[in-house]
Amino acid sequence: MLKTNSNVAIDKNVIQEASKPEPAKTKQFVDNEYCEVKVENLNFFYGSVQALFNVSVKVQEKGVAALIGPSGCGKSTFLRVLNRMNDLIPGTRLEGKVSIHGENIYAPNTDVVNLRKKVGMVFQHPNPFPKSIFDNIAYGPRIDGLKDKAVLSEIVETSLKGAALWDEVKDRLNEPALALSGGQQQRLCIARALAVKPRILLMDEPTSAIDPIATQRIEDLIRDLCTDYTIIIVTHNMQQAARISDYTGFFLQGEMIEWGKTSGLFTNPEDQRTEDYITGRFG
Amino acid sequence: MKTGVLDRGIVFEKKKSEWRSHELIGFWALRLTLVLVLFILGIIVFDIVSKGAGVINWEFLTQPPRVGMTEGGIFPAIVGTFYVTLITIAFAVPLGVGAAIYLNEYAVQGKFTRLVRMSVRNLAGVPSIVFGLFGMAVFVKIFGFGPSLIAAGFTLGLLTLPVTVTASEEALRTVPRAYREGSFALGATRWQVVRTVVLPRAIPGILTGTILGLARAAGETAPILATGAAFFLPHLPDSIRSQFMALPYHLFIMSTQHHAISQVRPIAYGTALVLLALVCLLNLAAVLLRKRYRDRVAKGL
Repeated sequence: MLKTNSNVAIDKNVIQEASKPEPAKTKQFVDNEYCEVKVENLNFFYGSVQALFNVSVKVQEKGVAALIGPSGCGKSTFLRVLNRMNDLIPGTRLEGKVSIHGENIYAPNTDVVNLRKKVGMVFQHPNPFPKSIFDNIAYGPRIDGLKDKAVLSEIVETSLKGAALWDEVKDRLNEPALALSGGQQQRLCIARALAVKPRILLMDEPTSAIDPIATQRIEDLIRDLCTDYTIIIVTHNMQQAARISDYTGFFLQGEMIEWGKTSGLFTNPEDQRTEDYITGRFG
Repeated sequence: MKTGVLDRGIVFEKKKSEWRSHELIGFWALRLTLVLVLFILGIIVFDIVSKGAGVINWEFLTQPPRVGMTEGGIFPAIVGTFYVTLITIAFAVPLGVGAAIYLNEYAVQGKFTRLVRMSVRNLAGVPSIVFGLFGMAVFVKIFGFGPSLIAAGFTLGLLTLPVTVTASEEALRTVPRAYREGSFALGATRWQVVRTVVLPRAIPGILTGTILGLARAAGETAPILATGAAFFLPHLPDSIRSQFMALPYHLFIMSTQHHAISQVRPIAYGTALVLLALVCLLNLAAVLLRKRYRDRVAKGL
C-alpha cells in the first residue's frame, strides 16, 4: 500500500500565501527519492487557457490512486500528462516537473514511445481495434517487433487471464473484439494494456460507459491488479473512489485541493471544499 | 373561445391538410427533377448503345483499324487507354495518398495546411486542357519524355491528384480518434499508428475515391492530346516512351477529324460504347470494393 508523506498533500499554505516571492511557491521534494510518480508544481495550458494550477503530488508505492472532482476540473488532463498523451493535442504547454520512477518524463531526450509502453492507459469508452481478440492483445508486442507466434500466444493468454477475461474468450480468440459486450471490451482494453507489460496503469473513467455488474467486475480486477501495478484512476463516482482506492486526490478548477489516504479524505477531509464536494453540496 | 376536444380536432385537421399540399408539391417537384435527370441519362445511354452495339464484336475489340481507319477495330486504343491508366495509377496513388497522410496525420493543422487544402481543391477546377498544356510544357519538353505514355500518364495523374488527395483525406478523417489514441497509448510510433490502425480503416474510402478519379481520367481527351496520344499507330506501344492510341482521343478523331466522318460514325459510336463500358466497369469496381470493405468493417475485422 501507499505510504503517506507529510508533504504529499498539496500544500495549501504555500498556495494561499500569494504575496510570497515566486520561488517560495515551488515545492521541493527530496531528490533521488524513489517514487512511482512525482509531480512538482505542474502548470498545464491548452493554448492560452490554463487547465492545471501548480499541482504537486507524490505516489510512492504500488496501489490505487483515485482522482475525483467535478467535470472539467482537470483530472483527465492531469492523467494524460502522465503518459504525455496531451502531446497529441496541438498548442498544449506544460510547466513544472513530472517524474516517473525518478526520471523526468518531460526532459528533452525522453523517448515518448517507451514512456507510453511503461505507462499504459485505459480510456473512458472501450476502444478495441476493429481486429480479432487475439490481434488486439498482440498489438502492443507486435509493434514492438515480436513475431514469434508461440510467444505471442502466451502473452495473449497471460494478459487475458490478468484481465479476468480468458475464460470468457479463450475459445473465440479469432473473433472480432467488437462483438464482445461493453464490459468485456473494457477488460479487453485492460488486457491489451497489460500485454505491453507496463509499470503504471492510467484509467480515465473506465467504468462510466459500462453497466453496474460489469463495473463491479472491473473494480474487482483493479483491486487484483494493484498489487503488481500502480493504478491511477479518474472517476466521477465517489463511491467507486472510496471502494477501490488507497489514495484519493480531489481536483477543483485545475487545482489539486487535497490529496491523502482515501479513508482519511472521505471521513475527515482537511479542506472545506473537499468536504462540500464529497457530501454532495456541489458537483 | 372554444377549447373543446372536437374544436382542437378541427384545427388539427386544417393544418394537416395545408401541410400536406405543401409537402406534396415539394415531393413531386423533387421527384420530377430526378425523373428528368434519369431521362437525360437514359437518352444518352440509349443513343450510344443503340448506335454502337451493332459494330461491337470480337474483331472490333481485338483488331487494329484498317483501310484508313474506316474498317477494323479499336484494339490499340483499348490497350493504350489501359496502359496510360496504369501509369496514372502508379503516379497519382502514391503521391495523392502520401500527401493526404501527411496533411491529415503529420502536419500541424493551421494556416498552412488550410492553404494547401484550398489549393488542392482548386486544382480540381482547373480545365483539363490547361493540364494538357502544362503536361506538354513540363513532361514532354522540360523532362524530355517526348510525346509518350509516361508524359500522358503523369499529366492525367496530376488531373486526378485533387480527387485522390481529397478522397483520401476524407477517408482518413473518418477513422475514429479513439483508435489512434488507443494505439498511441500502447507505445506506437506515429507511422505505426498510421500503418496498423488508420490505413486499414481508411483504405476502402481511399480506393473508391481513387477509382472514381481514375474513371474520370480514363475518359479525358484534352490532357493527352498534346502529351502522347496518336492519331493512328500501326503497332502497339512497346515502351513507356512510345506514343499510343487512346479511346477518348480515338472517339474525338472519329467524330470530328476523320476524312469520312459519316462513314465511320458507327465506329465512333462503338468506341463511345466501349469507353462508357470501361468507365462503368471502373465505377462498378469501386462499388464492389467499398461493399467488401464495409462488410469487413461491419464484422469488426
